[in-house]
Amino acid sequence: MARMTLKVPKGAVSMQHGTIVEWFVSAGDTVAVGQTIYAIETEKTTLEVESPFAGTITPIAETGQTLPIGAPVATVET
Amino acid sequence: MPELASLGAERAVAIYRTMVRVALCDQRIQQGLAAGDLQFQYYPAGGQEAIAATIMALLRPDDLAVTTYRVIHDIVAKGTPMREVMAEMYGKVTGTCKGKGGPMHLTAPDSGLMVTTGIVGAGAPIAAGLALAEMMQSKGQGAGRVTVCSFGDGAANIGAVHEALNLAAVWRLPVVFVCQNNLYAEYTSFAESTASESIAARASGYGMPGERCDGTDPAAIHEVAVRAIARARAGEGPTLLECVAPRLQGHAFGSDIAHMDQDTLARAKANAPLVTVRQRLIDEGLATEAQLASIESEAAAEVDDAQQFAVDSDPPDLSELDADVFADRADIPYSELPRDRAETPATGAVRQMTFGMAVNEAMAIALERDPSVFLLGEDIHDPAGGIVKATAGLSSRFGLDRVRPTPISEQAIVGAAIGASMRGMKPVAEIMVNDFAMVAMDQIANHAAKLRYMSGGRTTVPLTIRSLTAGNVGSFGAQHSQSLEAWFAHTPGLKIVAPSNAHDAKGLLLACIDDPDPCIQIEAMRCFFVPGDVPEGHYVVPLGKAAVRQTGEDITLVSYSWGMQEVHAAAAQLAESGASVEIIDLRTIVPLDYEALRASAHKTGRVLIVHPAVEFGGFGAELAARLQQDLFGTLKAPVGRYGAPYTSIPFAQNLEAAYFPDAAGVVERARALLEYR
Repeated sequence: MARMTLKVPKGAVSMQHGTIVEWFVSAGDTVAVGQTIYAIETEKTTLEVESPFAGTITPIAETGQTLPIGAPVATVET
Repeated sequence: MPELASLGAERAVAIYRTMVRVALCDQRIQQGLAAGDLQFQYYPAGGQEAIAATIMALLRPDDLAVTTYRVIHDIVAKGTPMREVMAEMYGKVTGTCKGKGGPMHLTAPDSGLMVTTGIVGAGAPIAAGLALAEMMQSKGQGAGRVTVCSFGDGAANIGAVHEALNLAAVWRLPVVFVCQNNLYAEYTSFAESTASESIAARASGYGMPGERCDGTDPAAIHEVAVRAIARARAGEGPTLLECVAPRLQGHAFGSDIAHMDQDTLARAKANAPLVTVRQRLIDEGLATEAQLASIESEAAAEVDDAQQFAVDSDPPDLSELDADVFADRADIPYSELPRDRAETPATGAVRQMTFGMAVNEAMAIALERDPSVFLLGEDIHDPAGGIVKATAGLSSRFGLDRVRPTPISEQAIVGAAIGASMRGMKPVAEIMVNDFAMVAMDQIANHAAKLRYMSGGRTTVPLTIRSLTAGNVGSFGAQHSQSLEAWFAHTPGLKIVAPSNAHDAKGLLLACIDDPDPCIQIEAMRCFFVPGDVPEGHYVVPLGKAAVRQTGEDITLVSYSWGMQEVHAAAAQLAESGASVEIIDLRTIVPLDYEALRASAHKTGRVLIVHPAVEFGGFGAELAARLQQDLFGTLKAPVGRYGAPYTSIPFAQNLEAAYFPDAAGVVERARALLEYR
C-alpha cells in the first residue's frame, strides 16, 4: 500500500495551468491503470487524463478549479 | 506473414525481450507524466517497438546509430543502460547526458547511439558523416562499423534527408536509412503529406536499393534488415528501408488524437506488435508462457530499478551550466579564466604569398601532418581546385579520398563533416560562399554548435568550416557578399575566425583544424589576392588572441577581416592630421580577446569599431555595449560603430561603394570621436 499523489501534468506544449472540467470518478472508487479519471482544459485543448496507478482514488481538486502544472489533483491508494 | 521461427528461437525471444523492455520503459515514463511527476514533451514509441528491437539485434555493439526525438525504442534497443536513460529523463547528472540533453537529445556513444536530434531529418547528414569516417578509417580492412539512421515518414519530406541519401549513395557509404513510417508526421497523415505510396520507392531515384516491410513483424523486418546491413558492411553502399508500423497514440504525451483515423487506430491497437509477437512465440512453440512471463517480470524489475536510480540521483551541479560549451570554459566570451594563448612560433623562412595561397598551404600542411584531416566541399578538386583556387593541387597531391568534391548540398557537407569529426576525423568543409551557410544553418547552429553541450560532453565536433565572403569586390550583390559573423556569434558553441592577412589566414586555419571545437574561418575575397609575409612550415596563430597592429594614444580603431584594410588606410590619413591611432585586429570573434580591447579602450578613451556587416545588430554592438558597461566613467566619448546600412547589398557599383564602410567613413567618424566633448 502506498499513497500516490497525482499532480497536474504538462499535457501540451504551451500548457502552464489548466482547469478541471470534469471528474469521471468519485472518492473511494477503484481505478485501473489507463482508466480515464478526469478532464483538464488548457488554452489549447482538453486533456483526458488516464490513471497512472491502480487503486482507490480520492480527488483533491474540484471541478472548475484552475491549477498550475504540478499542483495536486488526487491521491490513489495502491 | 513469415514465421518468427525463421529468426531462430533465441533471436526471436531476444527481440521480444527488447520489445518488452522498451514498452515498459515507455509506459513508466508516461506514468510519471500522467502523475505530474515528470514534466516535459514526450514522444511515445508505442507501435514501433519491433523495428528497433529487430534492427538493433542485428547490429554489433560497436555499430553506430542516429535517431530522432521519438527515441525510447531506439536507445533502449541499442543497449544503453536503462538507468542512464531514465536518469536523463529525470534531468539527473547520472543520465546519458548529465541531464543536459533530456528526452529529445539522448546520446550514448558507449552503446553507439551517437545523436538523437530534435530537428526532423537532421540526423541523416550526420549519419552519412559517421559512415564516412568509418569508411575512411577502415579502408581496405572491410567489415567496419555500420551506421543505422532512423527517422520518421515526416522526415522523408525534408531537404536534409534528400541531401544525405544522395551523398551516401554517391560515396557508397556504409549506412542503413530506416524510415519508421508510423503513418503520421506529427498531426498530419502520411497521405496528406506524401503523394507517393511508399518512401522506399524513392530509393531507386538515389541509386540505392529500397525495401518496404511490415514494421510490426520482426520476421519481415529481419528479412530486409539482414540484407541492408550486410550490404553496408561489405562496402556496397547504403539501403533505404521503410518499416510501416502504425502509431498507437497521439504525436506526444497528452496530445489529442482527433487527427487520427479512429478505426485504423483501434485495429492497430488490437494488433499491437507487443501482443502479436508474444502470441506468435507461443503459437510457434518458440517460447513457453512461463519463459515470457519471466522476461516480463525481469523487465519490470529493471524499469523499477532504473526509475529508483533516477529518483535517487542528484541533479547536475550548477557548475555544469557553462561546462561543455567548449572543451575549455575559458573560451566562453568574457570568461575570466586563464587561457593558454601562447603562439606556436613560425620558424620557417618568410616568403611573399597571397592570402589564398597561404590558405592552400595551411591545408596542404594539415593533410601532410595528420591522416585524419580531409577536405570536402563543392568543386574543390582539380582541375577546378575551388572557385578561387583555394584547394588547387590538393586533390592531385592527396587523392580524391582526402580531398572530396561534393554535390551542391550544404546540409550534407556540414552534416558529413559533423559526423566524421565525431568519430576522430578532422574535416575541413568548404562552404563556397558565406551566404550559402544559411542553407546549412541547422547543421551548423543546431548540431555542430550544440552536440557537445547536449550530450554532456560525451560527443565532440572538432570540425572546421572555411567560407568565402565576396563583399565589396564588385558584382556579387545581395546573396554572395554578406558577413555573417554576428549570426554565428549568437550561437554558443561556435568559434569564429576572421583573418585579415595571409600570415594569419594560414596560422589561424591550422589552429582551427587542431581545435577541439567547431570553427568557422571566414575568408574575405577582398583579402584573398593580397600578398603578405608568410613563414614556411607549420605554425599556429592561437584562437582568441587579438593583434595590436599599431600603438597609439588618442583613439582605438577595431576591426577584423577585410575591414582592416579600411582601418589601416584611415589610420594613415588620421596620422597626417596628428592623431595618434591604436589599431586592433580582433582576428577571432569567438574566442574573444576582450582583454586586449578593454586595455586599449582604457588607454585611449575613444573607440571606433568597424565591420562590413550590417551595423544594426552587428558584432560591433556587442563590443560597444560591453566596453561602455565596463568603462563608463573612463571613456572620453561614446564607443562608435561603423557598419553597413540596414539594406540588402546592392549590385550597381556606385550603390555597393556607398553601402560598404570605407576609409573615408572611418576617418569622418574617428574625427567626430576625437572632437567629442
